[in-house]
Amino acid sequence: MCAVPAPRVRPRLRGVAEGRPRLQTRESFCHSTVLLMGQRSGRQERSKKPEMSLSENMKAEEEDDREENKELKTKDQRLPLVFGVADLKNGAVGLYNIGQTCCLNSLLQVFLMNIHFTRILRRITVPPYASLKRNNVPYQMLLLLEKMQSGKQKAVSPIDLAMCLSTHRVNMFIQHDAAQLFLTLWNLVKRQMKDQDLVTKLSDLYTICVQEHLACQICSSEMKRNSNMLTLPLPVLDSNSHMLKTLEDCLQCFFHPEELTGHNMCFCEYCDKKTPFLQSMKLVHLPQTLTIHLKRFCFERSTNVYKLSHCLPFPQELDFNAVLTEQQSQAHGSEKAAWRYEIFAVVAHSGSTNSGHYCAYIRSLTECKWYCFNDSTVCQVSWDDVKCTYGHSDLNWGQTAYLLIYMKKHPQ
Amino acid sequence: MAQWQEVQNLANTHLEQVHQLYAAAALPMAVRQCLAAWIEDQDWLQATEPLSSHARMLFHSLLALLDERLGSLGLGDEDFMLKHNLRKARRDLQAAFEEYPESFANLVANLLQEERRILRLGQAGGQGEAAPAPSTPPKSDREQEIQRRLAEFHTALQEAERAFRHLEDLQDAFDFCYKVHYLPGQDQTKDPEYTRQVQSLQAKLQNLDRQRREVVAQMQQLLGRSETLRDFLQQELKAWQERQQRSCLGAPVDTRLHQLEAWFTALGEGLFQLLQLLRALGELQQKVTYERDPLQAETPLLETRLREQLTCLLQSAFVVEQQPSMPNTPKRPLVLRTASKFCTRARLLVRLHDRNHRMEAAIHIDRDPPKTRGFRKFNILTSSSKTLLAGDSPREGLICDFQYLTLKEQKISGSGKGSKGPNEGPLAVTEELHLITFTLAYAYCGLEMQLETSTLPFVIISNSNHQLSSAWASILWFNMLSPNPKDQQFFATPPPAPWPRLAEVLSWQFESVAERGLSREHLHMLAEKLLGSKPSPESVLSWSKFSKDGAAGFSFWAWLDGILGLLQEHLKKLWKDGLILGFVSRKQEKKLLKGKRTGTFLIRFSESVLGGVTFTWVEHPESGRPAFRAVVPYTTVELASLALPDIIRDYQLLAEENIPENPLLFLYPDTPRDEAFSPYYSQRQEGSLTEKKEYLNQRLIRVSSRQANESWQTEEELVVATENLETLQLQPSGLGSLQPTSPGTGTVVAGSPGTLQPVSPGTLQVVARSPGTQHPRGPGTLQPVSPGVLQVVAGSPGAQHQRPGMLQPGSRGPETPPLVQVSPGGLEMLQAGTGAREPQLVLQLIPEGQGTLQVGPGSLGTLQVLPGGTGMLQQGGAGDRGTQQVAAGALEPQMLLQLIPEGQGMLQVGAGDLGMLQVLPGAVGTLQSAPRTAGMLQQVGAGDQGLLQPGPGAAEPLPVADDQGLLPAGLGDLGPMLQGQDMQELLQFLEQDLEPGTGTLETLEAAELMPNMDSGLGQMDARLGGSAALLDPRDPFLPQPEDTALPATSSLFTVDADFPPLHIDASDFQ
Repeated sequence: MCAVPAPRVRPRLRGVAEGRPRLQTRESFCHSTVLLMGQRSGRQERSKKPEMSLSENMKAEEEDDREENKELKTKDQRLPLVFGVADLKNGAVGLYNIGQTCCLNSLLQVFLMNIHFTRILRRITVPPYASLKRNNVPYQMLLLLEKMQSGKQKAVSPIDLAMCLSTHRVNMFIQHDAAQLFLTLWNLVKRQMKDQDLVTKLSDLYTICVQEHLACQICSSEMKRNSNMLTLPLPVLDSNSHMLKTLEDCLQCFFHPEELTGHNMCFCEYCDKKTPFLQSMKLVHLPQTLTIHLKRFCFERSTNVYKLSHCLPFPQELDFNAVLTEQQSQAHGSEKAAWRYEIFAVVAHSGSTNSGHYCAYIRSLTECKWYCFNDSTVCQVSWDDVKCTYGHSDLNWGQTAYLLIYMKKHPQ
Repeated sequence: MAQWQEVQNLANTHLEQVHQLYAAAALPMAVRQCLAAWIEDQDWLQATEPLSSHARMLFHSLLALLDERLGSLGLGDEDFMLKHNLRKARRDLQAAFEEYPESFANLVANLLQEERRILRLGQAGGQGEAAPAPSTPPKSDREQEIQRRLAEFHTALQEAERAFRHLEDLQDAFDFCYKVHYLPGQDQTKDPEYTRQVQSLQAKLQNLDRQRREVVAQMQQLLGRSETLRDFLQQELKAWQERQQRSCLGAPVDTRLHQLEAWFTALGEGLFQLLQLLRALGELQQKVTYERDPLQAETPLLETRLREQLTCLLQSAFVVEQQPSMPNTPKRPLVLRTASKFCTRARLLVRLHDRNHRMEAAIHIDRDPPKTRGFRKFNILTSSSKTLLAGDSPREGLICDFQYLTLKEQKISGSGKGSKGPNEGPLAVTEELHLITFTLAYAYCGLEMQLETSTLPFVIISNSNHQLSSAWASILWFNMLSPNPKDQQFFATPPPAPWPRLAEVLSWQFESVAERGLSREHLHMLAEKLLGSKPSPESVLSWSKFSKDGAAGFSFWAWLDGILGLLQEHLKKLWKDGLILGFVSRKQEKKLLKGKRTGTFLIRFSESVLGGVTFTWVEHPESGRPAFRAVVPYTTVELASLALPDIIRDYQLLAEENIPENPLLFLYPDTPRDEAFSPYYSQRQEGSLTEKKEYLNQRLIRVSSRQANESWQTEEELVVATENLETLQLQPSGLGSLQPTSPGTGTVVAGSPGTLQPVSPGTLQVVARSPGTQHPRGPGTLQPVSPGVLQVVAGSPGAQHQRPGMLQPGSRGPETPPLVQVSPGGLEMLQAGTGAREPQLVLQLIPEGQGTLQVGPGSLGTLQVLPGGTGMLQQGGAGDRGTQQVAAGALEPQMLLQLIPEGQGMLQVGAGDLGMLQVLPGAVGTLQSAPRTAGMLQQVGAGDQGLLQPGPGAAEPLPVADDQGLLPAGLGDLGPMLQGQDMQELLQFLEQDLEPGTGTLETLEAAELMPNMDSGLGQMDARLGGSAALLDPRDPFLPQPEDTALPATSSLFTVDADFPPLHIDASDFQ
């Protein structure tokens, strides 16, 4: 705000070069703080929230947690330290941006606000040694969760987790693609979980099963292959590069059979030559937490990537049975009956493909209220705000939904 | 302090929350209370940063302050307790937080935040309760939502500014320490003091970095929220634009902009503030930066995004507030006429501008004209640029108002007239759409851009009203259906209109013209007419079917617009008040009226006549099915001279019944006519009866007559009822004028005293008396004329007085009825004689007239009989056609017929009524001449038109005199035919009487007659006036204040002293 620009100062300090203060005692301090706050403000949390009458939902949740508590105690006696009572409510707490971490922050919020995920996370086995602890992603996530929920700060810094991730080649100060980072993060969590039961649970929570069909158009021989996916990568343009109008259209387009002809032809074992094939995909199973990736980018002559920001509305409630045809699914009635979703979170991107900003809109599962997480700033919003991420053909820099996370309405 | 005070002022429910908050908190409320101001002034958030010395400092300051306060407390009882509490609190705090001052800072920060939250809740609740009190109109949810978001946005903006200022402070502090303590190059790592300094510097930088990120995150959030808000505003604006479009079509909607303007301005202000803030952030970064500086990476991105937002907001905020329209057709905007002035106005809803920067707005017509062959090009003649005006009053806003624009077509060399010449395009002129584009060079706060907005497409016509009507149809169609408000090629392939949408738009047309839309029944009828079936929501109507094709020779729209024009000109009030049923199909009409009393009528629009309105009434004959009758539609031509309510009031039907009567008794469903229409009757001049008037008032009434063989077809005539003798001047008696007019008059005459019906008694009475006036001339004069004349005379008391002898023949009247029966034969006779078709009528009339006259020389009863002549007329059916033929070039034949019969009576009265003839259309003339004699008729026959002309007409009467010679002969001829003794007798009498009369007549010359009439009329008037006075008691309408007495001067008529003034007693009419 100075009228005369002062000479530019470029302080070179040790810690800053690494993007954070270098504190000799940081590690230990940090841990003790977490524990301390976890215990103390856990108490506070309980008594100090008079305005929040516990809803049925929350009570149930509490009981659930108690059960878990017992379970955990019996299972793993090393846990009590990190287990707080505070996280009865998945409160909305910000995460400081510690250097291009808006993408990470948004994804972390999506993970940590998902009570189905945190339920799994809480049961992890704590690594025995400090060094292992430091590099254990699920453990660091859990610590972060504790930190977020125990204090009454409006935001906490995910520095430890970020440091931990950087040891797994997820670097700070780099712009990440949210979809990629999501996969990376998820895989790290899964890989570092020791308990196979939890791994299964985690996989069940996120994995989409599809069956790929390849049918030779000449001899009608068919090849099937089951595959699992973590996200449904939906195109936003149809095969003729026309903009698709709604999410449902994108889904239909995704599951639309594709003819492989010309140089796309495949080798058919029975015909013993390259033949045209019909490639189709059938949906077998949908998980509790369904992640949809909108491929809002377009390669222009394979060099330039630019972002597609046209309007693409997505519904609050999504019933796959209404979207897909009989041929496009391969599932039992009971499975299909459960294919009814409501939106849980939106990871939105603003800016261009080169530089931009991520934020997350999440509908708290306990309070049923929408929050917008912009790093350390969190505010309560409404569905109208979320609708703003539909996109706008006039705005190239506005927010557009990139990842959509839907939650099954009636968990199985 | 302020915050704590506000907290204390909270309502109980919220205060309870505060108590609970502190009940559980480590900080006792006593401490909060006693150090309120200090606590609120500190930056606890900053102190919560790990390792910050700030927290420790604050904690100790607090303890010190508590000590201070303890010391200052007195010894009172209250103080004692407080002292105790405070001391205890101090001890507890020290014990709990001595080691963890950051936790304490955290605790306080959270408490303060919690307080603020409760405050917000409380205040929001308070506002919610207080809101209904003020008289602000209830706002829609969306409006409230926008208001709320705007308020939130501004609060968040303020917070961001606060955070920014905090950041500034931090940066200044860091900058200072850095310059003082950081000494690179020297190896002072050994110096523990230096190490400590660098560590603190490091912490400060860390803190600064965090604060920067914090501010950036806040800005991100703000921008995100503003996007939603802008989205909302855009939706509202879109809704407004739709409203404006509808309002252009006549829909009654609110198109005010002030609310939108306030919102747009508020958001614009906020965004510009944010822009300033971002720039200031950039400056901060100029002063201090470091690796991974969030400002460096994020600010440019944020600014790009913000600029885009602002551009988008401003672009949409530039709107056409007033679509182009000509001032003289305000209800039909978007139709412009070359060389006529029109105006249009644009407004920038974001009311932010730099007073030092003039903003120029310009307009262009058809900047990107469609590449259609023959698309006309226009120039805007007047200046096409203007400075954007920023009115001083905040209400005016930023507008550019183009008031006096005119268009001129570009002449394209080689294409002749340019318009639709050799290179005629595929589109009609009225389907060619043009656009005016406004551009504005906007500059504010370093943001410069070109704003643009377009009017809705309009049609440019060059001349007639016809074009205006079809141009308006185009505008309706476009605005109703075009998905793209700028599509100039719309009419290349105009889409069909869904019926529900069209129905709504049509209804608006009526609403905007006459303040009453179309009801469901109306629309139903229209739909059936258009779609030929019951409308379903899916029914559609094509453009050509709407505006071009039409079985009746005109399109649906032309028909509807004709009705709109009629409403606008004449029937606004009736329509508005729902007296016009309007759109009723014949089928429906019958259904409605069937069950109603005889005389129940409804008013509806004609389906066969452009811009016509008619009424239909029901009659229930004693046997048979109910009959429905409708009158030939009135158009604006007729209504211009006589308003519909007056027509209804005075409407007369001449029919086979004896008495002309008004068949319109009850307005559907069952409102008595006068009750329904009296508020709309034109004002009568009521004057004192004693006052002498120079003139009688005149009054127009409408009459229909109907003939038996015509079944239910009704005819209609225009009766010029004399109200004002002046008009009639030529006529010795006002009645005379009436006679010429038409049968109506005749009716009147016939029924006059006897009937005395309210209908038009005035006229009748006059007639009755007029003979008296004529008396001067002497019965003799009259006699020659013809039987008809005689009758009249007979009817008039004057005649009676004078010459009973004369009348005597008439007195035999009672026997006459048989004569009527004779008539058929008479017809043949006449036809033979005259060769014309009218004769029959004459005959009919005569017989009856005579009979009547004779019978009731002085008696009204007899007179009444006359009207009954209709029966005769019916017989004449065949002849009717003949008449019509004659009339072909003239008015409506039927009228002629009717006139004749009755008119004769009248004519007779006005022996010299030639003047009358002039007045009347040719037909009338004929009638007059025809009155009595076949001879007359013959003359008439061929040259109707000649008769019509004033001059000739005047002369005609004289021939009549000549004809009289013929007439007796004619009568003689008739006599045998009649076969009836009575008739013969009658004829004889007539002959006798005629002789003297004839002489008189002969003496008269056209030249003489006329002048005499001029002067003489006055006298007659005078007498009439007198007689009118007599009549008054009976007829409230008759006497007119204007009827003043004229001095009795000598005249053709008065000279004859034979006639004493007329005396008519009321009893005479009984």
